[in-house]
Parts: sequence; structure tokens; C-alpha cells
Amino acid sequence: MVTRAAEPDISVRLGKLELAAPTLMGSGCYGSGEEYAALVDLSKIGGVVLKSVTRLPRLGNDAPRLVPVASGLLNAIGLQNPGIESYLANDVAKFGDRPCAIVGSVAGFSVDDYAYVTERLAAREEIDAIELNISCPNVGSEGETFACDPDLAERATRAARGATDKTLIVKLSPNVTDIAQIARVVEAAGADALAVINTVRGMSIDVERCAPRLGNVTGGLSGAAIRPIAVLAVWEVARAVHIPILGQGGIETARDALEFILAGAAAVSIGTGNFTDPRAPLAVAAGLRAYLAQHGIARLATIVGKANPGFLGTGER
Amino acid sequence: MDVLKTSPQVHETLVSDRREPIPGTVVIGLVAPALAANARPGQFVMAVTPSGERVATALGIYEAEGERISLMLTIVGPRTREIGLLARGDRLTLVGPLGNGFDLHALGKNVALVAGGVGIASLLLAAARLVEAGASVHLYYGARTAEALVDDELFEALGAGVSLATDDGSRGHHGFVTELLEREGRAHAAIAACGPSPMLRAVGAVGRAQGLRAQLSLEETFACGVGACWGCVVPLSRASEQAPKFPPPAPGEKRDYVHARICREGPVFWSDQLRW
Repeated sequence: MVTRAAEPDISVRLGKLELAAPTLMGSGCYGSGEEYAALVDLSKIGGVVLKSVTRLPRLGNDAPRLVPVASGLLNAIGLQNPGIESYLANDVAKFGDRPCAIVGSVAGFSVDDYAYVTERLAAREEIDAIELNISCPNVGSEGETFACDPDLAERATRAARGATDKTLIVKLSPNVTDIAQIARVVEAAGADALAVINTVRGMSIDVERCAPRLGNVTGGLSGAAIRPIAVLAVWEVARAVHIPILGQGGIETARDALEFILAGAAAVSIGTGNFTDPRAPLAVAAGLRAYLAQHGIARLATIVGKANPGFLGTGER
Repeated sequence: MDVLKTSPQVHETLVSDRREPIPGTVVIGLVAPALAANARPGQFVMAVTPSGERVATALGIYEAEGERISLMLTIVGPRTREIGLLARGDRLTLVGPLGNGFDLHALGKNVALVAGGVGIASLLLAAARLVEAGASVHLYYGARTAEALVDDELFEALGAGVSLATDDGSRGHHGFVTELLEREGRAHAAIAACGPSPMLRAVGAVGRAQGLRAQLSLEETFACGVGACWGCVVPLSRASEQAPKFPPPAPGEKRDYVHARICREGPVFWSDQLRW
């Protein structure tokens, strides 16, 4: 009798959030999941981080909001969203039908915003966890301030922590001098996990019009172009904190994801990669299983941080 | 506007034929039965190239009949080159059909089609379906030069009238296609147009002056193409039936419109609803 080797285990835990596959779809890139449901089996993708919601409605930035650049995408959407009241009334109920984890994303312009919106959103049973977006680069200086100032990052995190017992993931900005310092502060303030990284600030200029291409002038760069920046950020944060890291930045394939995992990410997010091929999350999950099988490894969790000698880890391997 | 609930799929298609009507502009025929059966004029697809790159622009569905569709594209960079150089038997992954197409019913029975450059790609299927439905169709088609005019004879073969314009006067009217529309537009009941934004704005203005409503198919850079990322927006009147539901403006918000996604609520909008 031939027994089939058990399939490698790629499930992961981020705080209380249990994911069958170690991939979340990055906030702002996957709408509410519904937009991709006809193209991808959502039960196989781990989970969706919803588009960020703020206290008040936001119309978002004027067009153009996108500029394709070498190996990446520059965007400046500007946190367009209907505001938390409308969101709770009209949108959240739909997420109850999603066959994957649903992570709500909260953005704000004051400490009180973060506490209020987190409390309102996390109270809904359709929401499995909260990602705190303290690092949007596209809403003037105010949006990213929280991720760039240790004191504000600490206060926003503490405020959100006080508003929910659900898993709290705080999304950090790469546009700082020392991301490890911010990571330590946010960990101490009660975050369950860290999302590393948001987009890298950038801009593009139309040389015929002699003017910036984006309506917002500046934008956030995503895609393969930022992958090495993101891998380094994960590497540095993994040496600074004990909470799990959600690695993100230009992940399109399983090998890309493995770079993040070996640097110290417990799970990864796929954002712009879905635009290249909507089947990317399925290919990443399949590729991770194949890698583990090929290397005789039973559980993905055992190789988290394996390339990083300074990896602190969660002690949960 | 007849708003469709689109149900896009991933399609593995096979190249059946290829022609290059003018240098650098290619029509790729594909065996894609589900797309051919379901695509409506003005809808588009996103392509994943064989090397795994995605083209950041929508590819309008040019023809759809039987099991075959075709796409017209202009080679402008490495990704469009990759698709443009595909040959019979090659494979191409498409996501679609995407967006809401033209509302042919609302256009009525006497339609002016206005195309600028490769905007022609969105109008051939509309012309075919309009003629099938018994409408009288006239194409006003402008390009830089005679050499840049593509496939106008296919519209003639459908029984459509054709008036051409070129920037350099090398064929047809010497000047803008909108000048032809200014002269002849009153002979029609409605307009459907596709082309660069300045031309579409001008079409809207001519239509307004002549009391004709115009459906404009907008071109824009897309990221997701399926309505998830809100990258391809255009300002739209809150009163438009295509306007996404959005609460009243927050205090301090001076803009009285909403942002609609070109890939999802569009790419075709009534000109009089746009606030661009």
C-alpha cells in the first residue's frame, strides 16, 4: 500500500487570527474581495485586508491616481472611502459571506479617530481582525505622520488596542530612518502583529507637460521595484520584535514570498501582484507547498526567520 | 445607461490569426468561446502576457462572433509587443469581459460613431450590433495621417457611412474629426465615441451644442481592471445612474461629484454626467 506523504502545512497564526494559507491580500488592492470572487477561489487565499476606512467619508484624490513605472506602480488613491457610518450600514454585512479571513483596515487623522473607527469596526462579527493603517503616504503629511513619529505611532496603537480584543496588526511605513525603533514602540503599545511595509514614497514627472503625473503630485510605489526594500525592512523588524510580521512589498511568486519568510515574516501580503495575475495568491500557496515538500519540511512556520541570525521570533515554532 | 452586472472569468485563449493593418497596430484573433458569446460592445479584457506580465491598459473587444474574438492593440512597449508578436497557436490568458459597454438601446436608430486613433477598436462591434438591430450608423473617424487610419472599410462593409479626417489632410477632411461632427451631427439622434480625452471632451461639447446625448468610452491606465483598487476614476455627477453609492460630502469637501471607476462603472459614460 502506498501512503501519500502528508501535504506540507502552510497554515499560520497572527495573534488570534488563524490562516489556512499564509497569504493576505493587501489593503486597497483587493477591494472587498467581491471584485475578485469570480476569478479566484477565495477559500484558498488566506484572507483579504479590506480597503481602509476613515471616520468621515473621503472622496479621495483627483485623477490621475496611477502611473505604471519600471517594475512597479505609483499610486495616490487618497483613502477614498464612504466613512465608517456608511461602511457599517452598507458594506460590512457583505463580508460575512466571504470564505476567507476578513481583516478590516482603519485609517485616521487623530489618535481619537483610530480608537473610534477601530472600536466601531471591530465590534462587527464579520471582521476577524484589524489592520491599523498609520502609514498611508497619499493624504498629505497627516496620513503618514503616525508611522513616522514613535510617539504618535505608540499613541495610535495604544488607542486601537484599547478599542478591541481582536488581532491588531499595525502597518508600518518604510519612509522612516529607523523602522526597527517604530516596530519596538508599536509592539510595546500592544500590537499583535506588524505589517511591513506600506508603499515607498515616490513621484513621476511628465516631461512633455513639465508637470507631475499624479493628481496628488506624490504617490506610493509598490510592485517588484520595492521588494528588496521590503525584505530588508522585514529583516530589521524581525531582529527588533517578538510579534509576528506580515511581510509585503512586490510579492508575485512563492520565491518572492520565501524571501520575506526567511527574513522573518510569519505570513505575507500580496497587493500589486494580483494586478499582474489574479491567480498569484494560488500560485504562491502552491509554490510554498512545493518548496517545503522538496526540502522535506513539514511546516512553513519552522523556516520563518531561518536566513536571519538575529531573528527573535515568537517562540511558537 | 444600462448597468451590467459583469461576471468576469479567467480565459485561456488560443491565437487563431493575426494581421497588422498598419505598421505597429495589430489585430489578434483568439479562440475564446465564452468571451465571444458574452462580450458586449465597449467591454474590454485585461491580458496576462505569456511571460507573466500584465498590460496596464484595457484591450477593447474588437470583434466577437462564433467562438472567436479579436483585440486591436498598438505596440508601444515591451508588454504590448509581447502580445502584438503572438502568432497562430500561441496562448494568451485574458480576464474578462470587464466593464459596462455601450448602451446600444439608448443610442436609438440613428447613431454617429466618433473614433479618434486606436479608439476605433471599441466601435466596430458596436457598429455591427447596431446595424444588426436595424440602426443607421455613420462613422466619423480621425487620425494623424492616412497611414494611421485602420479598417475603415470594415465599417463600410457593415453598411455604415464613413467620413474620415486627418490632421495633415492626407485623407478625408483636413482637420479634427469633431469638425466633421459639427457639420453633420444634426443628421443623427445620438453619439457613441472612443478616443483620446481631448477628443472626447470636444465630442461632448459638440453633442451638447447640437442637442445630442453622447456615450463616451474612456481610456485610462488600469491597475486591477476589476474595480478593486479605485485607481482609474473619473469625476461623475452624483445624479448619474452609474454613480457609485456614496454618502454626502464630509464637512469641508468642496467637490460635489463622486468618483466612478472607469473599469467598473465605465468605461462608457454619458458625456453630460461627467464632471471632468
